[in-house]
Amino acid sequence: METAALHKKIPSILKKLFPKKEKEVKLSRKERRERYKKRLSFLEEGERRYLKRIRVINAIWPICRTLIVIGLCFIILYPLLFMLSTAFRPLEDMYDPTILWIPKSFTMNNIRDVIKAMDFWKTLGNTLVLNIGCSIVQVASCALTGYGFARFKFKGRELLFFFVIMMILVLPQILLIPQYTFFRYFDVFGIIEAVTGEPYNFIDSAFTMYFPAITANGISAGLFIFLFRQAFRGLPRELEDAACLDGCSPFMTFVKVMVPNASSTFLTVFLFSVVWYWNDYYVSTSFFTKNRTIALMLKNLDPQLRIALHGNANANVDVRELIVWMEAGCLIAILPMLIMYIVLQKYFTEGIARSGLTGM
Amino acid sequence: MSYEKKKGFYGLCFLSVWLLGCALFFAGPLIESFYYSFNSVRPIVGGLEIKWLGLDNYARAFLRDPRYRQNLTEALRAAAFKLPIIIIFSMFTAIVINQKFKGRTFARAVFFLPVIIATGPVYAIITGDLTLTGNDSAEQFTTMFEADMVDQLLEFVGVYGFGENFTDWISEITSGILNLVWSCGIQIIIFLSALQGIPLSAKEAAEIEGATSWEFFWKITLPYVSPMILVNIVYTVIDTFRDPMNPVIARILAVQNEWEYGYSAALSWSYFAIVLAALGIIFAVTRKFVWYENE
Repeated sequence: METAALHKKIPSILKKLFPKKEKEVKLSRKERRERYKKRLSFLEEGERRYLKRIRVINAIWPICRTLIVIGLCFIILYPLLFMLSTAFRPLEDMYDPTILWIPKSFTMNNIRDVIKAMDFWKTLGNTLVLNIGCSIVQVASCALTGYGFARFKFKGRELLFFFVIMMILVLPQILLIPQYTFFRYFDVFGIIEAVTGEPYNFIDSAFTMYFPAITANGISAGLFIFLFRQAFRGLPRELEDAACLDGCSPFMTFVKVMVPNASSTFLTVFLFSVVWYWNDYYVSTSFFTKNRTIALMLKNLDPQLRIALHGNANANVDVRELIVWMEAGCLIAILPMLIMYIVLQKYFTEGIARSGLTGM
Repeated sequence: MSYEKKKGFYGLCFLSVWLLGCALFFAGPLIESFYYSFNSVRPIVGGLEIKWLGLDNYARAFLRDPRYRQNLTEALRAAAFKLPIIIIFSMFTAIVINQKFKGRTFARAVFFLPVIIATGPVYAIITGDLTLTGNDSAEQFTTMFEADMVDQLLEFVGVYGFGENFTDWISEITSGILNLVWSCGIQIIIFLSALQGIPLSAKEAAEIEGATSWEFFWKITLPYVSPMILVNIVYTVIDTFRDPMNPVIARILAVQNEWEYGYSAALSWSYFAIVLAALGIIFAVTRKFVWYENE
């Protein structure tokens, strides 16, 4: 067919594909009210009341809902807005009572000071390597464990799974001191002491984070094992049977068949693991004496700032001055997580929703 | 080896990594700290000095340490107060954002935002619970923060010159709401997924029968969501009791900083026992009200 003829045909084809919707006949307000009244007159008393109530609710509820949603969103976002508003504000503006939200001029000085005080780029690099490294090994080990609990029957499985539940419940405070002594005086059956004269001190090394993570005992590992178990239990058994018939070993079945099928769970657990490692300052305070991570740095930001700006940890700094820097510090500390959340928001929320908690 | 035994063996192989970790970092420390709780444990050069005390640590916690008992009642009262509010609020919010309206995706994203921030030091700074070293700037920090918020809101609405008491009262409520909204993220997600699991047929049937939204909530929503209420209660209880800002946890940390490891172990264990007991009671009571569809 010639192109010209085709061009002529296009409008008619388009018309067939997208038929025009018939416009609803617009009624004036008065006409609509009359129609409604006429409709009511055919109905019984109870039905009439029901219809009226529905009409009132349909008119009022959306307004209430909008107010509620906007109000709650404001409360949640308030600290972040406050951060944004103060972090870029010059100090003088802090003392100006006429300034509520938008400062008269913007400055990057606060951010620059805080970046210097926190040694931000180096700390950020450290934290990211530690977080992502720990999260990867933790996800792998938790997935293996979860799969073991989901698909294999052996003696004492219930008892072992009880331990997983206990891992979720037990307070970290109970475990911390024995864990600390384990790393502080690390030894394998007294061999290290026999060779070097004293047990090895692992405090302040990243090993204190990696070792628990690699053995599925890192931060919130119990919950992750539980999530993986639920996810693997939800997959059809036929997948493994087919792999088994084709001569696949159990481990390769896990790697080649089960892992790709549970990929969304992997992503969710990984994301939460990164977030929780990022936020953790409780476990890391006891294993690190130096401020190696963003969370620790932020926790001790106050004295750090005093040292960086006034050369003395006990220097007298006005609270308003401090707020500017603290807010700037908070802002750059949550920025990486915030960006990750905005980009991958779907996986955070859907992951929890689909995590199989429903099958509990 | 029989097929079954072989499979069991494979299962244990999958668990082996975790078993090692569990022995080293969970079961071991668990037993060790339980043993500590009956001893006086103090760090000395090259290790720990351990002296047997029997039940004395526990007696000290409950009979002689007035602060611990006070902290404990404080924590329990706060939790008992918070729990129903959190559950009701998160259910309400989930129902609201489950409806269709413009900007729903944005609203959802905002409501879950606390989940990624609320466990970290930023939240502690926001709410002023992180004691900053040096002077008591932390307190001033929060009061300024809250007073600011209320005043600004009032000025925004156009109200000036209210009494101090009123502003204080309002700021208490708003900070309460802030805490509440910020601790509900996970619960809202769980309720939301439960709400989306309500079958369409139930909705249609209710509509045809002419159920109002009030009746719909009590007769359809609540039964379908009830298993998730139980899940959320358990989650909230664990979350509140593990919160580092909890007064009991703060007390335990203070004792640890005084190098009294044995006593702090006794405090943590007794606290843990109380939490477990509370959880057991709540579980037993609420379980009766849970409705499962397939039963």
